[in-house]
Amino acid sequence: MNSNGFALRIKYRTALGLLWLFCSLPLTGWAQTSGPSASGTLGSVGSDTMAGLMLRWGEALTTRHPDISLQFQASGSASAPPALLAGTTRIGPMSRRMTDEERNAFVERYGYPPLELRVARDALVVIVHRHNPLPAISLKDVDAIFSSTRACGGDHPIARWETLVEDDTGPRGRIALHSRNMASGTYGLFRQRMLCDGEFRPDVSKHMGASAVVAAVGESYAAMGYSGYNHLTPSVRALPLSTQQGNAVMPSETTIQNGDYPLSRYLYVYINLPPGETLPAAEQAFLNMVISAEGQQITRAAGFVPLPLSTLEAQRTW
Amino acid sequence: MKRLKSALRQGVWPWLCAGSVALSLLMLGALLALLLTRGLGHFWPATLDEVTLANGDIVAGEAVRELPLPDQAGNERLYFIGNRDIDDVRWRWVALDSIAQRTQPATLLRLERRTWGDFIGYLEAVDVNGQRITGQDAWQQVKQALRLPTLQRAQYQLTLRTPQGQTLRQSLATVLSAEAPNAMSVGQKVQTWGNGIWQFLSQGPRAANTQGGVWPAIFGTMLMVILMSVMVTPFGVLAAIYLNEIAHQGPLTRLVRIGVHNLAGVPSIVYGVFGLGVFVYGIGGSLDEWFFDEALPSPTFGTGGLLWASLTLALLTLPVVIVATEEGLARIPEAQREGAVALGATRLEMITRVVLPMTMPAMLTGVILAVARAAGEVAPLMLVGVAKLAPQMPLDGEFPYLHLERKFMHLGYHLFDTAFHGEDVQAAIPLVYATALLLVLLVLVLNLTAILLRHHLRRQRGSEC
Amino acid sequence: MTRNRLTSQPFRHLQDRIATGLITAGGMGVLLAVLGIGVFLVWEAMPLLLSGNTNALTRLSPLAWGTLKAALMALLFALPLALGAAFYSGFFMSRQLHSRIKPTLEMMEAIPGVVIGFIAGLIFAPWVERHLASTLVLLIWLPLSMGLAGLLWHLASRRWQRRLPLSWAALWLIPWLIAMFMVALWLTPLVEQAWWGGDLRQRLYLWFGLDYVTRNALIVGLAMGFAVIPSIYSLAEDALTEVPRSLMEGAQALGASRWQAAMKVALPAAWPGLFSATMIGAGRAVGETMIVLLASSNTALLSASPFEGMRTMAAAIAIELPEASAGGTPYRMLVLAALVLFLFTFLVNTLAEVVRQRLRRRYHRIGGAS
Repeated sequence: MNSNGFALRIKYRTALGLLWLFCSLPLTGWAQTSGPSASGTLGSVGSDTMAGLMLRWGEALTTRHPDISLQFQASGSASAPPALLAGTTRIGPMSRRMTDEERNAFVERYGYPPLELRVARDALVVIVHRHNPLPAISLKDVDAIFSSTRACGGDHPIARWETLVEDDTGPRGRIALHSRNMASGTYGLFRQRMLCDGEFRPDVSKHMGASAVVAAVGESYAAMGYSGYNHLTPSVRALPLSTQQGNAVMPSETTIQNGDYPLSRYLYVYINLPPGETLPAAEQAFLNMVISAEGQQITRAAGFVPLPLSTLEAQRTW
Repeated sequence: MKRLKSALRQGVWPWLCAGSVALSLLMLGALLALLLTRGLGHFWPATLDEVTLANGDIVAGEAVRELPLPDQAGNERLYFIGNRDIDDVRWRWVALDSIAQRTQPATLLRLERRTWGDFIGYLEAVDVNGQRITGQDAWQQVKQALRLPTLQRAQYQLTLRTPQGQTLRQSLATVLSAEAPNAMSVGQKVQTWGNGIWQFLSQGPRAANTQGGVWPAIFGTMLMVILMSVMVTPFGVLAAIYLNEIAHQGPLTRLVRIGVHNLAGVPSIVYGVFGLGVFVYGIGGSLDEWFFDEALPSPTFGTGGLLWASLTLALLTLPVVIVATEEGLARIPEAQREGAVALGATRLEMITRVVLPMTMPAMLTGVILAVARAAGEVAPLMLVGVAKLAPQMPLDGEFPYLHLERKFMHLGYHLFDTAFHGEDVQAAIPLVYATALLLVLLVLVLNLTAILLRHHLRRQRGSEC
Repeated sequence: MTRNRLTSQPFRHLQDRIATGLITAGGMGVLLAVLGIGVFLVWEAMPLLLSGNTNALTRLSPLAWGTLKAALMALLFALPLALGAAFYSGFFMSRQLHSRIKPTLEMMEAIPGVVIGFIAGLIFAPWVERHLASTLVLLIWLPLSMGLAGLLWHLASRRWQRRLPLSWAALWLIPWLIAMFMVALWLTPLVEQAWWGGDLRQRLYLWFGLDYVTRNALIVGLAMGFAVIPSIYSLAEDALTEVPRSLMEGAQALGASRWQAAMKVALPAAWPGLFSATMIGAGRAVGETMIVLLASSNTALLSASPFEGMRTMAAAIAIELPEASAGGTPYRMLVLAALVLFLFTFLVNTLAEVVRQRLRRRYHRIGGAS
């Protein structure tokens, strides 16, 4: 008898819970759209390279505006344009520039282009194990190692260390190649700049994140990979890249900022901002923080190369 | 010789079989031991070394791991040296052969800071209200001041010296904690260890998920699991009662039953695809168009979120609940039902007054198993709504308190994310271990509860029949 | 008065009929929703299938191969262990131990895939790369050492045999295995130095043309094998213990040893059950996402080498679906992959379930006749 009552009580409670659940559905959205000024939800979908940077900026933002809630998704730059297009988010960080195709799709959907903001400078570095004695590598060799197409003009594929290094130093055997997965902007950029838009070899290991690439290269003597400058750790060594002119350029803050290092790039944040309208408070506070001195200090702490404040301020259109 | 022959004749196969059990147990034990030692060991205040190298360099930090050098004899050791604002790197590999001297100075400090990560070095002086304190007093002063709230700490300015001799100034407001592990007694270390575990459980992540705790992930997991149970329990029980008590027991019912049982074996990622296609794009997209069109293009329900994740997992665990409840229903002696009906009860009364109370433990077992399964699933959540960082909880003081459209953090995804997406795997791995341990413990405890409950139930029924 | 009306016959019957209708509707709804998964997948993948786009299918084939390869490697490792364990706990283990060990092994199943994947990908894979020779030696040496333990037991004195009985071997073999593990780790580098010139990987290439990739099918097989052992074990053990005792006792009364009885009587009787256990394990291995995602190199290769990676359908869905915009060809292709997974696991499980039910009825007949 007693347990019977218990069972019934439970049922009423679950029923009540369900009822309340469904009633609260429409209300949640209402609560979200009307709030005090610097509050609300700040969502972003996009680059994995910039995930750490976005998180740190977000942390700094929430210490100042505790009412802002953050929702960051970082699965790769390629996820930003569809998300902006579908309206899943208004902020799309990308580690490469939008392609014309992506931009046109956006314009077609909304009638205006997305706002493009350059927020930092980064570089791609070719990495090997920390004890690898290889002094430098030429752009042509990188293509011959990573691609199956050799669109940059290599004569023959390089698959083994014996082919790359004539003398008897360093690792032997196959060059274990490590790369990002296809959604990543780093992947796209590397393909465009280093493989001359060619195809990767099919046996390149594809990792879920940049730090996984660095970890994998740091664990294996015969490995080679590429990653963002900010992910460098002492477990791996960045190779200087030699161009046609023959001089090898080491990636460093100076060479990346002045563009001497061939694989340097801007990092972007794309914003869905209808012309003439103002951004919601949370987005606005976020962007103001990004282009401030504090934001650029955080950029350095995250391992990227900051931009001069004047360059940043010139882009302010909101 | 004769005995050997007889041994061979009798065969060693039973031992191979016994060995299989032993090996499986060994692997399970090794996994748990690894998680326990590394997960809990991370919070133990590690001894800090100061190492002078043969070339005169000084390296101070925590020894993390040792690996053999490639292409030559000997090992090298990885030191965590912190001080990223000064050296630009936090790690240093040191070949063991190049170490000239290794000491563990008691005054070597480790400060946890907000922006640049840990500082490892010495405390020179503290400036407070124009007064300068040096030496051992300074350290006492810092320890006391760290108990103050952040705002009051700003008046303390620390002068720090790196092991290489460089000095820097740091406001105490940006320092989260400070310890001198080499000078600690075992008791103090245990206390720090306990504190560390508590902070890990109760705080949010910091520095892009490489530091801090996992509280939002714990909370998100729990909330999702609770919502899921609220949805799955009534429907699962309903379906089980229908299948067992009401439906005509023909070949069709048997087919449906097999189908439902088999859905338990369908990969979770398939449910994720379903959730994304139907809940997020289908229902969520339509809800947005009907109710939240003023918020478009920002989606409200048209993106992954708490509600869709719970629904997807509810669907995923529905077979578990149905199967467990059915098992309970099947165990009720037919005589009980007949007795109730014979005494004049209608079918509804028979079900609510006799059958349901008796299946209560079985239902509970099913729900617990479902919760355990849902807590450990990550793959479908990657499609329907976890976020890398969502410090704002889906449950807060803002009306309507429960925000079903919000994204949430989940322990399993947090683990995956910090281990593979983070900035620095080496720095994140201890936390990943701790998170993994927490997740495994959670799931194992839930399963253990279910097993005990089921065991208890079987014994009870056994004595009744 | 009110009470009277509420409990009056017509009201109660009305209530009953309404409730029955509601339950029926609810139950049917739930079942339809659950079965709707298949409908949804077919619906979404249909345009791709009808369009006759062979390009998508050729993109799918390395994924399908990777899925099969991963599942096969996992089964290769898990089957002997799980079936061996099932035989041991079904016929040899002491009752007391059995009631503890079985739940423990079943708990293995609950360990989340993401944890196993993390350990396999970030900890185990680099370790194996550094100790490749030792790992390969261990794969052979550990089973051998179990047999060796059996031989030694037969040779030992009665006192030792009584002290270390077979029925408790699952426990006392653990320290033995640890010792053997250590021995192998210590000896292999010496052997490697003497026979294989100190670098097995170089030799593998010279001899077989095999290249070694850090996160490879071997790692995935071991990790996923670990994950499927419990489900195979649990079902296989059930099948074996459900073999009517009378059969076993009859065989033993005729002079067969316990092992002979198990092999000649229980195995033929229970093999459909073992088969269905294997099928369930295969279904689980095919659909496992996180382990493959984290422990394999995610390379869509058509290679049979155990030292190369693979990419499975489940992993491809997890990585690529969030980026694919709804309705596009990549999206439909991934949904098609999900459909293939769904159909495969559903069919395999149904097969297993049917076989199991049939077996249970047969046992019932045999048990009833004796």
